[in-house]
Amino acid sequence: MAMGSIGDTLWDVVICGTGLQQSLLALSLSRSSKNILHIDPNDYYGGAEAAFSLQETESWVDRLATEDKGLFRSASITKPDVAGLSFPRAYSLALAPQLIHARSELLSQLVSSRAYRQVEFLAVGSFYIFKTPLDPEQQPSLVRIPSTREDVFSTTAISAKAKRGLMKFLKFVLDYDSPDQRDVWKYFADKSLMDFLQEHFKMDAELKTYIITLTLSLDGRISTEDGLFIIHRHLTSMGHFGPGFAALYPKWGGISEIAQVACRAGAVGGAVYMLGAGIKSMATAADEIELELTSGDKVKTKLLVRGDDSVGDEPIISRLVAVVGSPLKSLFEPTIEGAPTPCVAVVALPAGSLTTSGEANTYPVYVFAHSSGTGECPNGQTSALTITTSDILIVLSSIKPFCIIHNMLGAKANWKSIGVIYLSTMATSNSKEILSRALESFLSAVDHNQVPQCLYQLYYEQAAGVKQSRLDGLTLDLPGPSLSLSMDDSLLQHVREAWKKVVGDTVDDAEYMVFTDREPVDDDDYE
Amino acid sequence: MADQGGSNHGIARTSRTRTEEQRQKDLERIKDYRALEDQVRAHAAKSDYSPDVFALTSKLLRLNPEYYTVWNVRRRCLISGLLSKPSPGSSPSKALPTSSPTATTTTSSAVSSSSLSTETPPALESQTTGKSGTTAEEGQQKQQDQQNDQQILQKELHFTIPLLLESPKCYWIWSYRLWILKQVIERLPVPVARKIWEEELGLTSKMLLRDQRNFHAWGYRRHVVEQLESPELEGKSLVESEFEFTTKKIEQNLSNFSAWHSRSKLIPRLLDERNADDEARKAFFEEELGKIGEAINVGPDDQSLWYYHQFLMLNLVNFVGHPTITPAFTQEERVTYLRREIEGIQELLEDYDDAKLIYEALFDYTLYLCQLQERKPNEQEVKDLKGWLGSLKKLDPMRSGRWADLERDLGLRVTMEV
Repeated sequence: MAMGSIGDTLWDVVICGTGLQQSLLALSLSRSSKNILHIDPNDYYGGAEAAFSLQETESWVDRLATEDKGLFRSASITKPDVAGLSFPRAYSLALAPQLIHARSELLSQLVSSRAYRQVEFLAVGSFYIFKTPLDPEQQPSLVRIPSTREDVFSTTAISAKAKRGLMKFLKFVLDYDSPDQRDVWKYFADKSLMDFLQEHFKMDAELKTYIITLTLSLDGRISTEDGLFIIHRHLTSMGHFGPGFAALYPKWGGISEIAQVACRAGAVGGAVYMLGAGIKSMATAADEIELELTSGDKVKTKLLVRGDDSVGDEPIISRLVAVVGSPLKSLFEPTIEGAPTPCVAVVALPAGSLTTSGEANTYPVYVFAHSSGTGECPNGQTSALTITTSDILIVLSSIKPFCIIHNMLGAKANWKSIGVIYLSTMATSNSKEILSRALESFLSAVDHNQVPQCLYQLYYEQAAGVKQSRLDGLTLDLPGPSLSLSMDDSLLQHVREAWKKVVGDTVDDAEYMVFTDREPVDDDDYE
Repeated sequence: MADQGGSNHGIARTSRTRTEEQRQKDLERIKDYRALEDQVRAHAAKSDYSPDVFALTSKLLRLNPEYYTVWNVRRRCLISGLLSKPSPGSSPSKALPTSSPTATTTTSSAVSSSSLSTETPPALESQTTGKSGTTAEEGQQKQQDQQNDQQILQKELHFTIPLLLESPKCYWIWSYRLWILKQVIERLPVPVARKIWEEELGLTSKMLLRDQRNFHAWGYRRHVVEQLESPELEGKSLVESEFEFTTKKIEQNLSNFSAWHSRSKLIPRLLDERNADDEARKAFFEEELGKIGEAINVGPDDQSLWYYHQFLMLNLVNFVGHPTITPAFTQEERVTYLRREIEGIQELLEDYDDAKLIYEALFDYTLYLCQLQERKPNEQEVKDLKGWLGSLKKLDPMRSGRWADLERDLGLRVTMEV
């Protein structure tokens, strides 16, 4: 269909925005015979879940500076004066670096719709806790969180009695949804999981931290009901797609890749795509809307689906994305023999483990370390780095912000980036500083000897969006993007409802996201 | 985790309905298969085992590796042409008649070296071992033969790999592999043969990685290790590395009956080869107790763990006339260790009060203690035994007959509290 004629069709649906939800909608409709026009005011796919090259990052930050009331705000880029950064397009910094658990509904849908074939999934490896040593002279360390029986067996960090407690909890969680077990926790359903663990399992502080970390709860106060759901998902996801990992991460930019693949499927199915086109104005008639696009085109549609990007009333998070030239190899070891090499590692710095301006952090900081295997940065190579003893002493005793330290060493090093680190925490008055400190502490805990180098930093804050869909006549607004660090399947129901609105009763509900391959594919090809 | 199976990286297979197009394709495939099968059988009926037939068996076996008759046809192709003939001096025609129909059926049966050796032509055997009286020309010919055979045999091993990946439990493939490997020992120089068998060990490790519960693979592994340790391959003991292998398997999955069992079987030889003195044996025993203790601590419901623990306890109790880890333990030491274990297990009840295997262990071990000290249970012990038996009756009502027997045998009478 030629571009010029988009005004002639009465579209069944115009989808505005190519964020995850809108893109999944396009995927769900890709085998229907509906006329779909899918537009996005940005000149890139992904919306709030996009992945940016360094240049795109800069444009985005510039744009945000002029419109600071949206979901994203307070964005800034820091580029220390050090060598080692590769060309801008070699990077793909993800705005939504969410993990996708193996048992998540999203993956089931990607499989049943066959779209999974287009995505390269990488394994997420171990979850670690950053441990501050009791002796301030000692270095901090990273302790792996055990989440299988064999992990608990092997770890030397927990006492025998505590191990029994942990095993009892794990056994309980695996069965938490059964009628018997429900009685155990239903009184605590809305109360914090921390309290439930204390009351019912008498867990010590350390074990409680392990469990809360598995939930990736940003404020540490996740409810018992939500927390048990997430831990159950984590435990049952372990080993589901192969030994040694519980979650996946799409290569080339996380969720943005899912959005792109979904849009591609939409296009193959006949949907018309227009980037750089937003809605300038709209006029609603009885059973159709007339839209004037920023491209100048006027189109008519039976239904308009948009993403709601107004600010909700839940938390704001601070995020720091750092491109780091640092050997992080120890984080990406396969956990057990036969396990794939992971490309993502999760490290939690619990509340109280960092001090800035004399105060300990109230909220945990979550670090997602990505190796170059994610495709988000080029492959690393390090050349020999000579550090004199005096340099080392300066580094270790310095309290200066992280990146300034490395200016001193910049001339000697010739790093190429080999990792992208995503740090997230609740936004507070000093969360930016906390994230800086967290990055520094994390890198020093990974490798005490090597001095890590930060090549690029992006900081921003993101507010939670609206949680519910809203239908106003012929306009359906899908909820805003989720701040959850792991894929939140609850957003999928809104996509399904939108799909239903478009297809009506012509299609059986059981056929949602269930497609056959367009060409017969031999499964053996995917060995 | 359980066997992932199939070729889909564990991603759930959704059922597909066949389109008419695909059904037609399937019919074509069946037709081709039947034609291939007919061809092979026709050639075999005429005792034609030429290289062409060999190529046909390749095609057919790729489609159906379970077709053991075709594996036999392939063997005959190798013996009657592709592999080197025994040199002049021994009649090559001796070789074929011994491969009678009865011999070939034994070849296709279970994986055991004894049944395989019956079909090896005696003429060939004497050929590779006899070295006296060969001229320079014969020597060169022999070298060429060996190189040729090596290539052929390695190609054969290679051929079976994709088949094994698809059908890891198909007896005929394993059997064929073993036959090839036996040819390797007989036909190739020892260093070459050794290397090939070492690779075989690597293969069994990979198979056990894919499916730790493949008892088939464990048995096969033991056979491979045995060969590698044998004089034919100038072998030395592999007991240390095999012991380490069981450790790794256990770390990957605690519930591994085969791994724990293998471990227990390796221990006597391990300690002998280490020339372990009493001090070392005691240390080893304590380490094993520690390890199994840690395992039971996280897996009290796991039968395989309790079996191993029992193996260690029997080491203390049943040491007369049995290979034992700690032969030099005094009576006192034995009692101490047993007591310590009983106490340690009782601690588990603090957190695992519904694990029936704990109660069984406590019951059994208390009786072991009495047996060791050649006495009857004392008053406290009788009380404990009754208590544990009571718990067992509650937790495992299906075996009430067993509990009743134990009760009667020991003169205990437990009243069930309702």
